[in-house]
Amino acid sequence: MATDKTSLQLVTNGILNENPIFRLVLSMCPAVGISTTVMNGFMLGVAVLFVQVFSSCTISLFKNVIHPRIRIPTYTLTIATWVTVIDMVLAAYMPVAYAKMGIFIKLIVAFAIITMRLEMFACKESVTASFWDGVGMGLGFMFGMMSLGLVRELLGQGTILGHDVLGFKPLLFFVLPFAGFFCVGLMMAFFNYIELAYRRAKRA
Amino acid sequence: MKDILTIIFRLTVACLLAGAVMGGAFVLTNQAKRHNAELNERKVMLSLLGYSSVKSAPASLKLHPIYRYLITAKGGEEIGYLLPGGAGEAGMTLVIIDLDGKFVGQRPVALSPEVAKEETKRAAAIQTALGGDGKARYADQTIVVTEGGQRLAYLLPGRFPGFKTFITAMLALNQDFSIRGLEIMESEEDPGLGGEIVQKYFKNQFKAKTLETMRKLGVVKTPLPDEYRRALEADGGAGSGGLSAEQVAKIEAEYSGKDIYALTGATISSRSVTEGVKAMVQKFVYRLGLLDQALKEQKIAVPF
Repeated sequence: MATDKTSLQLVTNGILNENPIFRLVLSMCPAVGISTTVMNGFMLGVAVLFVQVFSSCTISLFKNVIHPRIRIPTYTLTIATWVTVIDMVLAAYMPVAYAKMGIFIKLIVAFAIITMRLEMFACKESVTASFWDGVGMGLGFMFGMMSLGLVRELLGQGTILGHDVLGFKPLLFFVLPFAGFFCVGLMMAFFNYIELAYRRAKRA
Repeated sequence: MKDILTIIFRLTVACLLAGAVMGGAFVLTNQAKRHNAELNERKVMLSLLGYSSVKSAPASLKLHPIYRYLITAKGGEEIGYLLPGGAGEAGMTLVIIDLDGKFVGQRPVALSPEVAKEETKRAAAIQTALGGDGKARYADQTIVVTEGGQRLAYLLPGRFPGFKTFITAMLALNQDFSIRGLEIMESEEDPGLGGEIVQKYFKNQFKAKTLETMRKLGVVKTPLPDEYRRALEADGGAGSGGLSAEQVAKIEAEYSGKDIYALTGATISSRSVTEGVKAMVQKFVYRLGLLDQALKEQKIAVPF
């Protein structure tokens, strides 16, 4: 039951049609908790991208020998393995980046988006398709986190990537964790509105 | 039944595979990771002494490690200090002192100070030097810092209990045993509460406390005065907060006789660090006194 989408379609599917944060509404904990700055969003996005791609490829490779009744434990095991390996490699060869990203990487084991992608896609499709799907989902997650981070950093601290652009702090509210929910909701509405407008323009 | 057996078998294989992958990654990366930790430790040591990438350490600055071992001999427990120098040119010397502080003996150890950094090789060399006279167990190390042959400071890596688990710290003492600086290397205190022990406004409070103050240092729960906090935050960093280096030193000197101001909501962590640092300083001063006495009486030549 192979997918008939091309690799490009799989990537854009992850970023737009099935964006993990704004469309699938998965992995909300990190989206709310960590997306306070653009940089945080980017760091977590990169980490998720790697774990998603590696896990998708692994599961797709072994899909025929995974017993259907223990597939979820197997997925968790796979994700945990890759998270640990990436954690160790980064700590050894990129200590500067690791000092910033270390805490985010260990969080990924519990992310819903990765398990969901393994269950919905990788366990049925070929390795190549799973690779591109992983890339798309990783980029989509990164895009969601960074756009949330942009809004929250700008409105909460008046900065972008640590550079002062507004010169004052408009609303402290946006830095606090619960503002993440408001932000996700507002952005979701915003993207839905764009899509509606686009469809209407196309029909006319 | 057959189904369950297959499930068990496949899950076991999956776990073994995952274990093998993680183990392989660990073996491949461990060396580099340890190297990073060593580099980081050296950077922390130099920064505690007041050097950074901007102001690099002079060539005359030397770090001499002293390794302390507990030796179980026939006559009872003894303490062995592995020092650079002494009898051999490239070798090191093991000075043995009993628990009452009396000199027991010294033995040459065929080991260069470079190789001595590796724990397994060091332990093997010490065991060879001791022969059958006892069994040595590694306790801790201390680093004596000299500049042009003169003692400048002491660096004490140490570990003490925190709120839930151990805190690893590095303490720098001046020649008169007043505190030069404290750095928390590893801690697992609660983020936002006890985790604040790594912040400048807590750890810099220990700066400039004299040995006399340290003996009876306590923790108070009154709020940290604003000017003191600004001085502590400004100390040794770019964020000067409108204070010059002299002003910072002056404010810190004013408060140097006072107790440690506890962190809000983390009295236990604050108290643990204070007690831990106190114990480190007092034990070190006692041990160094005995060691120096033995070195002087026996006329053992050391490079510090």
